Parts: sequence; C-alpha cells; structure tokens
Amino acid sequence: MCDLFALSANKDFSAPKSLPIFAAKAKKNMDGWGIGYFKKQDALVEKSAKRVFVSGYVHDSFRKLARVVKSRIIICHVRFRTSGPVDDCHAHPFVLRFGGHDWIFAHNGKAPAIESYKSNNPPLEEAVSDSARAFEYLRDHLLRYYRNTTQLPTLFQALCQSTERMVEEYPGEYNYLLSNGRSLFAFTNHRQFMFLKGSKKLEGALLLTTLARGLSNEKWIRIAKATNRKGTLMAVSGTDIILKQSL
Amino acid sequence: MCDIFAISAGYNHTPKKYLPIFAEKGKQNMNGWGIGFFRDDQAFMEKSEEQVFSKEQVHESFQRLARVIDSRIIISHINCPKSGGRHTDHRHPFKLSFLDHSWLFAQVGVVKSIEKYRTTEKPGLTADVYTARIFEFLRDQMVLLHNQNPYISLYMALRISIQKLVSDYPGEYSFFLANESVLFAFCNYRQLMLFKESQSMGDILLITSIKEGLSQSKWQQIVPDPQSLGELLVIAGPDVLYAGDV
Repeated sequence: MCDLFALSANKDFSAPKSLPIFAAKAKKNMDGWGIGYFKKQDALVEKSAKRVFVSGYVHDSFRKLARVVKSRIIICHVRFRTSGPVDDCHAHPFVLRFGGHDWIFAHNGKAPAIESYKSNNPPLEEAVSDSARAFEYLRDHLLRYYRNTTQLPTLFQALCQSTERMVEEYPGEYNYLLSNGRSLFAFTNHRQFMFLKGSKKLEGALLLTTLARGLSNEKWIRIAKATNRKGTLMAVSGTDIILKQSL
Repeated sequence: MCDIFAISAGYNHTPKKYLPIFAEKGKQNMNGWGIGFFRDDQAFMEKSEEQVFSKEQVHESFQRLARVIDSRIIISHINCPKSGGRHTDHRHPFKLSFLDHSWLFAQVGVVKSIEKYRTTEKPGLTADVYTARIFEFLRDQMVLLHNQNPYISLYMALRISIQKLVSDYPGEYSFFLANESVLFAFCNYRQLMLFKESQSMGDILLITSIKEGLSQSKWQQIVPDPQSLGELLVIAGPDVLYAGDV
C-alpha cells in the first residue's frame, strides 16, 4: 500500500526531519516516490521510479530534496504499485493546471473501477493509473461546478460534492491529498490520516501522514472515515484544520 | 453606519487600488479609520481618529499605507460615531493572540448588551468599546472549545462560538476575523458584498459592507437568511472555501 505525507504551514518550510523518517517508515513501498511543492504560483514535482529506501538508507536524492524543498505546502508520496506501470510518469504527485492555477494531487488506495473514466478535458500525460483518472475526475467536476453554479461558489463544498460523487460512481479506496498552493485538502475513506501540530521533534508545522503510528512518538491524532459514511474530507490552511466534514 | 473591507490573496498583496476606493465609498463615516495586516505571521494595525476622506481627498496616511502594505490578508474599518470611543486605540481592527495565531477583528453593528462582558482569558483589550468585548468573547469561546478538543476545526469552533454569542448577546453583527492564513466573515443583518478580482478561481478576493461594492463589476451579495442566526464564510487565499448558515 502506498503512503502519503504532507506539511502545511503559514510560511515556507522545509521538512529535513520528517520527510526522511516518512521514507524510512514507508520503506515497504518499493515502486517510486515523489515530492510536490509550490514556488509562488507554480506547482513543482520531483519524482522517481526507484526505491525510496535501499540497504538501510533513504534514497540520496530524496534526502537532499528533503533539505532543500521549501514551500508552505509539501506533499510526498511513496508508491506501492497497484495500478499502472512502474516508471517516473506513474509516480505521484501529479500536477494539473485548471481554474487559473496549478494543483498537486497524490493518492493512496485501490480504485480499479475509475480506470475506465474518460475525461473530456486534457488528460494527465501518459498516466494510465486509477490515481490519474481520480485526479482528472475531481478536476472535471470542480470545473463543472464552477461553470454551472448559480450561487456563491465555495471550493470546499464543491470538492465535497465531487468526491462524494466519485466514490458513488467509482467505488474504491481513496486517500488523497490535493492542493492549490493555498489550501490543502485531505480525503480518507480507508486506513486513516494521522495529524500532528507543533511538533517538538520534527518540523513545527502541521504534519499529516497515512502511516498509522505517525512519524514520532508524540501525540498524533487519528482521523478516519466515520462508520456508515463515505469518507471524511478536511481543508487545511496554514497550521490548522479549517474544515472537516463527513461525506 | 461604519463600514468594513477585507482583501484575501494567495500571495502578499498591496492594496493600492481598492483601499482608497473603500475610503472614498465610506466617506460618510467621519470618525476615524484603521487598517490591519500581517507580516511574519504577526498582526499589525495602523489607526487614526481623523477623517478618512476630507476636502475630496483620501487621508494622506491612508493612501500611503495602501501603497506599501504587503500582506495576504488585509482588513480595514472606517468608523462612525456609533462605534464608540474617541481615541485612536478605540478604532478597529483589534488584535489578540490565541490558538497559536495573531488575530485581527473588525466589526460593524450595534450590540450594546455585550458591554458588561468580562473576559476570563488574558490578555484583555483595554479599549472600552463593545467591539472589543465581542472579540474577547469569541476568543474566550474558541479557546475553551479548543481546550476541550485540540483538533476541532477552526470553522466549527467559531460557528459554535457565534451561536453562543448571538444567543447570549443578541444584536447586529457583521465582522471579519482573520489570522495570517484564513479569513472568516460573518453577518446577521447587513449584507456583505464579495468579488473575485479575476475570472474563474481568481487571484484576490474582496469583501466589504459597502452595499454597492467597490467597482462597477458584478459583486456577489451575501445576505443572511432571516431564519438563521447569520451567514458565516470561510476564505483562504482568493477562495471561498465554505459558506453556510450558523
């Protein structure tokens, strides 16, 4: 199973402590890794199809990037392939530009049903995985919402609707991270997200990961899908969970 | 009646275009003005008891500040006599630090009944005006809720706090509450007008109590449902994340 990590802060942060720990704890994921971040309005991604952890060491490039990447929002993914081939192209995060800015997306879970989804908008270049189709689906529905709504458009509510519909139309396991550089959205309908704010041992930003025990022996809080619900969607801005809604 | 105006942007923004327009549109409010902004996660305020607009000119300091402030969130208030107080310190916005953030607060509306409220937290605001008591009340409630559940969402904490505020101290409220990365806007009587500077999901978002907005463009009117306690908006960067009844 893949794993996800994100950092969100009020100002640019690096993650030289938590990112290598994340890589080491998620080392069973053998099929690539990626780090996404924002430089002003531009979404940038460094990714690789290689193992993130080999012979007791975190991948050299990964360690260097962990020290150097600096952004208000950082999204990281380590891959255990369940859909699509193993190559750089299929490593997460993915980037799409829509609605006037760049978005970064990373996904963990299995959703084979959505592999058949065909977007009417430009596809993610050459990627044939469920994650790529899920990102396109959310993009398409957000755009449709903004185009058609007659009321005040609200991004979190739009994403709630889009995600709920995606899970209904294409049932599967979805944990995703999505960001436009200003807000970070985290959805879970299997496993969990672990949150920590104000760490004394790692970076003092808001940290989150799918790893069940978090990244330190501090008091991480677990947020998971509520019983009989389709999942939980959260909006994070700066170091706070601003909105949290069960779908 | 006082007026309020806020800008929320994805990246630092200098409000040289819209702040002077706001001052001119609100020129009937002759009792002072204030501008709040953020730098390095800290809230800063510049205030004056002088008229924001006189002799067909926007106040010189106000104009200069509009040209140099550089912040993701900017809040401005122009006072009418109903706001109370005569000193610069009584002007909005007000600043308090809590929940690991520096917060700004500005409001329009009359809520005389809250003047007797005494905060349980420290520090208190020294200004003897009811807006300061509203801010303290919201701070106290949000801190209390956060102590009970450290991972309560900010929206939920504020929503519950507003419900208690309106229940304990009924009155007219339109306010902005912001930290360095998120802006909350609430109204239960006057409309708020909202506009995104560019098309689609846009680059900056403007919100004001000035009923015609600040430009000829089509501004979105936010009107509270009379059956609800009021309307609460959550804004991050130029995006309205959420809007709903309290």
